[in-house]
Amino acid sequence: MKRIDLSHLDDLALGSVFLATGGGGDPHVPRLITEQAIKTYGPVTLIAPAALDDDAFIVPIGSVGAPTVSLELLPSVDEAARTIEAFEAHVGRKVDAVASFEIGGGNSLIPLVAAAGKGIPVVDGDGMGRALPEAQMMSYAIAGVNPTPALAMDYAGNQATFQTNTTEVYERHIRSFAMAAGGMITTAEHAMSGAELKRSVIPGTLSFSIELGRILRENRGQAEGLLKPLQEIFARSIYGQCQLVFQGKVVDKATRIVGGYDVGEVTIERFDGLGDPLKISIKNEYLLGKIDDRVIASVPDLIVIVDYETGTPINAERLRYGHRVAVFAVGCPDFYRTPDALRVVEPRCFGFDIDYVPLEQL
Amino acid sequence: MRVGIDVGGTHTDAVILNGDDVIAATKSLTSADVISGVTAALDEILQQSGVSAGSIKTVMIGTTQFTNAIVERRELSKIAVIRIGLPSGRGMPPMVDWPRDMVDAIDAEVYMLHGGYLYNGWPVADMRDDEVKAVITDIQNKGIQNVAIASAFSPMNSRPETQVAEKIRAAIPDARVTLSHSFGRLGLMERENAAIMNTTLLPFADRVVNSFLGALAKRGLTCPAFISQNDGTLMNADFVRAYPALTFASGPTNSLRGAYRLTGLENAIVVDIGGTTSDIGVIQNGFPRESNVVVNIGGIRTNFRMPDILAIGLGGGSVVSEDGKIIGPRSVGHKLVTEGLVFGGQTLTATDILVAGGHAVIGDKTLTSHIGAGVVSQATATLHKMLNDNIEMMKPGGKDMPVILVGGGAVLVTQGLNAAFKLHRPENADVANAIGAAIAQIGGESERMLSYRQTSRDESIASVTRAATERAIKAGADPKTIRAVDIEETAVPYMDEGATRVRVKVIGELAT
Repeated sequence: MKRIDLSHLDDLALGSVFLATGGGGDPHVPRLITEQAIKTYGPVTLIAPAALDDDAFIVPIGSVGAPTVSLELLPSVDEAARTIEAFEAHVGRKVDAVASFEIGGGNSLIPLVAAAGKGIPVVDGDGMGRALPEAQMMSYAIAGVNPTPALAMDYAGNQATFQTNTTEVYERHIRSFAMAAGGMITTAEHAMSGAELKRSVIPGTLSFSIELGRILRENRGQAEGLLKPLQEIFARSIYGQCQLVFQGKVVDKATRIVGGYDVGEVTIERFDGLGDPLKISIKNEYLLGKIDDRVIASVPDLIVIVDYETGTPINAERLRYGHRVAVFAVGCPDFYRTPDALRVVEPRCFGFDIDYVPLEQL
Repeated sequence: MRVGIDVGGTHTDAVILNGDDVIAATKSLTSADVISGVTAALDEILQQSGVSAGSIKTVMIGTTQFTNAIVERRELSKIAVIRIGLPSGRGMPPMVDWPRDMVDAIDAEVYMLHGGYLYNGWPVADMRDDEVKAVITDIQNKGIQNVAIASAFSPMNSRPETQVAEKIRAAIPDARVTLSHSFGRLGLMERENAAIMNTTLLPFADRVVNSFLGALAKRGLTCPAFISQNDGTLMNADFVRAYPALTFASGPTNSLRGAYRLTGLENAIVVDIGGTTSDIGVIQNGFPRESNVVVNIGGIRTNFRMPDILAIGLGGGSVVSEDGKIIGPRSVGHKLVTEGLVFGGQTLTATDILVAGGHAVIGDKTLTSHIGAGVVSQATATLHKMLNDNIEMMKPGGKDMPVILVGGGAVLVTQGLNAAFKLHRPENADVANAIGAAIAQIGGESERMLSYRQTSRDESIASVTRAATERAIKAGADPKTIRAVDIEETAVPYMDEGATRVRVKVIGELAT
């Protein structure tokens, strides 16, 4: 069993922005609240999924809402733990460990805040292995875990509980509550047994994210220099191969809101201006990369845009005209290539009329 | 004709520009009181050029005094900080992520109040009169004059900030208040940080502006005076009394713009070597490459618009270790003339190494005779390695880029730089900052979160542009020349349709 203390937070935050594939929001505030929680309550124990008792009771916790809102409506240090306590009261059972919705962005850190405050372990793993926009895309949901009973709490301690028939309905209802509560809430959902978690979790991603962050920090500098260390770390992981697919300058970025999501496209031209540009489609995350009509990479594989000079991953909402960038693609964990998973995360689920072809076959 | 003056930590530069021509230039050490050095520099350029004070139409001043005050933790006043946003953010008080020495240096009284607004206009919580009253009484009792106020979503609804400010002014008539929404962008902590740094600098800003205006008046310069800000645009001198923090990083911007003007190179790396630091930046199409990331000033996160600058502690006043293997980051700054060995002082500086190596005649070379040749060559190698390594980091990937050396410390580079495709040392390079200040324009920026469902997109952009234009006019721009140079729309994910963050930047010529 490992412990996560203050010395791991910078690397975890950096690694999680890479795995967020453009989504997940700026991790600064979540990182800071985690730091405050660890300073206040002490380090957090990290527990491997395999080490959990089959009848342990685990609940994933995270934020739902607009990352932009959390820039203004700051979280409180006890908010996550109070959400767990309220959830325990709601279901009448003690929670043994918390888990993460998604390893990408701020939601990789909220479970640590809850775990620190409650003095319980956090599971080394998550429900996506990256960031994805909707609840039914979580590995927990795909493996058949029911999202409800669920409980959500806002910044003022107002609570709502949910009991829904399907994950899609749950997703719609939780979004409505998030909007009504000012744009950002903390939710405990998809509660499950240790046995259920073992077959539904993407394992090891929390410790992997710390390791990835360390690699990014130690190899800070131009993107080409980053490729080899990245390929090495991904080769040792549950992810597929890592490729450097493009380098150039952002010449256009257009996004608009459709159905509650930030939808649009970014166009990246080679530094020498020659050849066709790379176009990446965005729906909160970077989902599909195409040069001319040729697909370079697509969801559920990971597409990551980093600052060309420093290798720092850039969130979609921060990406701007003129940015000099490099684009990496990484094969997703095998779980997301199974028919059950592809049914909810293949390109068509995001409105792209193409079949999913694994990165290494493109 | 325009006068450009740049006050650095170590040197004060001044130029007179007639159109594009530099008709007088001078460089001298920044005096401890700053202003006698500025006066002397003015006298020097007026005399050099034979131009009468009356024919100077504008004076532009760039100063690093405020940045340096923050970085060196001096000239900072005790303040009160009020955040309005409870019950959100419990356990995340203002300055929670600041370096300890900075927190100690400004010794702020921190208060957190209920209130603020959500993105959709609902209150975060109702403001509580008794809470506000208690805070103001406490500020009064502690005799604090300067107050920073930040509330949640104040760029969209500034009422909580202005309401508390009014109450403070009613209770403490000579109180000076900085409201975070003056710093525009969303990001409560970064905006609050800007307001806090601004507030703690207010008394110092008064002293600085008074002494500048006094010096100009004494020399018969009654024309408008402007001070340059972080994005290379100008604000009028009185504006600086209220917003000294807007001058942060104006020095590097001015040197980049000045280097571009001096060489005509639209794409280049600029290395500005001063007394305390070397600032490495990149010119893209004639303008500074802007930083992609949140900018740290003195270890504090801010959301200012800044050029992408890599600052390393290497300058003429940098302290050199006995074996020559370590240079900086400590510097004797403007005390070089008393503390440097060549000036009879006791501290081995980079300038002493330069003189000992026979590359410059400054002060008394014999005072360096005890430094071994091995130490001189080691220190010289250390200095060039530091520059090469850091230029490589800033270089846009593997491309051959020319390097422009500017600033008073450029003489420290006595060998070639491997990282440079071609090394340029333009004429008047030592006063590039002053030239950059003299060619600055007036800008204005505004940002709001709007709902395109409630307000049409065109109308939304127009209203934000109007706010930016008003700011530019207030800062001294000619309304007829103002144009929008940057419109940024960011859709807010997961929110109701049409919630969009709109940011507009306008630029105009100086009104004459």
